[in-house]
Amino acid sequence: MINKLKNLKLTPGLILRILVGLGVLVFLGWRIYQTAFGEGTYGPDTWMRFLIAGLVIGGMYALIAIGYTLVYGILFMINFAHGEVMMLGTFAGYFALEAFAAIPAPAAAGPDLNFLNAYPVIALILTFLAGAGTSALVGLLLERIAYRPLRGAPRLIPLISAIGASIFLQNAAQLLFGPQRRQYMNPDILWRGMGWMIPVGGKEVMLTYTGAFSFVLSILLMVALFILVKRTKLGKSMRAVAENKQAAALMGIDVDSVISKTFIISGILAGAAGVMWGIHNGLFNHYVGFIPGIKAFTAAVLGGIGNIPGAMMGGMLLGLLESMGPALLGLDFQLKDVIAFTILILVLIFRPSGLLGEALTEEKV
Amino acid sequence: MKTILKNGLRAGITFGIVFIFLLLIGFINVGSTMIGDILGTNVQDQVPVNNLLITLAILGLFTGITAKSGCGECKWWMALLGGLTAGLVSGILAWLAIWITGTLSVGGAELQTYLPNLDPEDMAFLRFYSTPSAAANTYLIYLSLSSLAGAGLAWLLSFKNWFSRGWDTAKTKVSSWFEDKNVSDVIHNPWATAVILAIVGVALYFLPLTWGSYWNYIMGTVAIYILLGLGLNIIVGYSGQLVLGYVAFFATGAYTFALLTAPTPHGIGLNLWLAVGASVVVSTLTGLLLGLPILNLRGDYLAIVTLGFGEIIRILIKSDLLTDITNGPKGVTNVGQPNWFGEVFNDVNYMHLLMLLVLIGLFIAKRLKDSGTGRAWIAIREDQTVAQATGINTYGSKILALLLGAAFAGLAGALFASRNQFTGPEDFTLMVSINVLCIVIVGGMGSLPGVVIGAFVLKGLPELLRELEDYRLLVFGALLVVMMIVRPEGLWPAASTHFKQPSKKQPSEAAVEVKQ
Repeated sequence: MINKLKNLKLTPGLILRILVGLGVLVFLGWRIYQTAFGEGTYGPDTWMRFLIAGLVIGGMYALIAIGYTLVYGILFMINFAHGEVMMLGTFAGYFALEAFAAIPAPAAAGPDLNFLNAYPVIALILTFLAGAGTSALVGLLLERIAYRPLRGAPRLIPLISAIGASIFLQNAAQLLFGPQRRQYMNPDILWRGMGWMIPVGGKEVMLTYTGAFSFVLSILLMVALFILVKRTKLGKSMRAVAENKQAAALMGIDVDSVISKTFIISGILAGAAGVMWGIHNGLFNHYVGFIPGIKAFTAAVLGGIGNIPGAMMGGMLLGLLESMGPALLGLDFQLKDVIAFTILILVLIFRPSGLLGEALTEEKV
Repeated sequence: MKTILKNGLRAGITFGIVFIFLLLIGFINVGSTMIGDILGTNVQDQVPVNNLLITLAILGLFTGITAKSGCGECKWWMALLGGLTAGLVSGILAWLAIWITGTLSVGGAELQTYLPNLDPEDMAFLRFYSTPSAAANTYLIYLSLSSLAGAGLAWLLSFKNWFSRGWDTAKTKVSSWFEDKNVSDVIHNPWATAVILAIVGVALYFLPLTWGSYWNYIMGTVAIYILLGLGLNIIVGYSGQLVLGYVAFFATGAYTFALLTAPTPHGIGLNLWLAVGASVVVSTLTGLLLGLPILNLRGDYLAIVTLGFGEIIRILIKSDLLTDITNGPKGVTNVGQPNWFGEVFNDVNYMHLLMLLVLIGLFIAKRLKDSGTGRAWIAIREDQTVAQATGINTYGSKILALLLGAAFAGLAGALFASRNQFTGPEDFTLMVSINVLCIVIVGGMGSLPGVVIGAFVLKGLPELLRELEDYRLLVFGALLVVMMIVRPEGLWPAASTHFKQPSKKQPSEAAVEVKQ
């Protein structure tokens, strides 16, 4: 440690970093002192509400971020069109729910019921399958058409291709389905704006059904992914390909097929996140994937890109930062993105490979 | 035999899906209308159904050509067989699409709720105003026959990659013409150069006078994007730093200029030329502020940090926090315009100014590239570790590249604000950064003619395609993908790039190694 300090050269960049760090720490300490003992504008119930909102949105960010991280871990490319993959999943889920709402239920289930409300669990499962399936298909095609011919090209080339695919998919959705905002048709048991009342500090805070549902589902999906990566043969080959493509090929792993499957898995997660987004927030249009896409990528970098637990943690952290940050710093809520990106910059200045990321070798950076 | 059938099947399925996609985004109708416009056969906005047949025939021809191109050099009957297969397959898909949507539409289903392009009126046109099954049969027959014709035509001409081959031939011809002894003597003769420059200068002087204000507006936008492209080219093309938040410098330049010259909200009314200088300085300082702490990051981390920085600037400009300073979401109006001997600049003057600045910018960028610093940048781009080992101050060089790039953006921002007389936060979205990056890449990284060509292609061409307003961005996105696959080194690559271009037919080295 002392040796390390002795070898430290005081470059202008380092001095600036130290100054920025000290400034941020002083400011944060002052703000936390203020919010805890000073102003008291926000009661515990409000903080609880922020916490719930942050966890719900954080779960969705985490799911999308995993998609970025998986692809980055294997191909070292930013899949810029990943947000659009999620958007198409949102559309697919919407159409599935509309279809279920239009199908009348058999008379045995009850009078005047549609399929959606007669068998809500089955309908929801099918909706998620539709969303995840569509996104997986889009991800697969994306890889085949836009990325596979570019393997081995310089780094910027696949990025531009991904940007092009993103623009294409967004506008295709607009032209196909129209620019207007649409509203998700939830089953009655998951109606938006209904939920459990939790007493916090003498007041009641609502935990919405959709929020709890999304959060639990995202946690389940993350656990499933973790098991898949750590315990199954596919996960093992994915890790092998991420480590070294040629060595993996020599061990008899079909690299192309593993890459395709990676895109399918990240598509499934993005599609599920897209359907959750629709169910929880209701309104959506063809822009729905863009902002979450960028946020999730930020989350992936925050946690250390290429690192799956890092992406999960980064997503949750980003969600919490967005919902609690403005209140904590006493800033306006329209600045939540500024806070999120500033935290990202600060984290990268002090830990250039993200919170959980290991120092990458030159070739992977 | 088997391969040709397989190729035909593949081409057929691809084009069948393309047909359904075009149908659902309403392009079949728009295309038919456009054909009517070109041929002059539209009678009072009524498009004759024959145009629909022409659209189908064009689509079918492409199907046939694609099916044929899969079999390389093969016999005529094989080409025709492939074309027929492709046509039949795509025709069957089209048959299904038309029959299903047509029957639903005739049955009174409100398709347009979910697919807005399938309203009853358009559907009636697509059905040739007859029954769904009769229309579907017409589609099948037409697509098959035209695909057959397309395959036959392709066999006759046996053209293969004629576009890219033609482009390359043209380029080699031009460059060999430049290398020719006599020609190069003329070029290197200072008098000849002076004459050529004078002719170009006169042409550049008179063009804006004759174009009219619409063209001046478009070309002005192109010129501003050339300046931006030149700046980003220094950062991305020369020194290899992937910066996705270039718009931040553009925005600071525009806002500095606007706030210093506009009557509201501050009413400073600074001299315009000083204000331009101030914009450049402020943008450069922004670059310094961003660059000092983060330029040690590499690759995608740098990309996302700069992307975040661009968003931070935009959101801050828009936010309540800075509304008193920046006028918030409303933007700044009545931005100052320069005078020319007592007269306020009009579009022609702006065009002249922009052209002059683009030429100066090109000159500076060229000199920078050839300088020692420029070579240091290229060394850093190719291999940072090696560059460092040869004694290059990589950190300092990278900061310098960022500062110079930011200065270009500041200048472009000031001109942008002044020309539009307005600047608002929504002018500075992420799409601007992406567009400029695409200009640099599509033109050819590190290549100056590439930047100019890229700006014309990416900002000028879409303006020309106003007819297809709705489809512009769709085509733009698809073109970027195709471009990266077919010509990843850019339209006009820099002379000394070390890119290995992965060609489509030959898999890249890595892929071969992996497969073996």
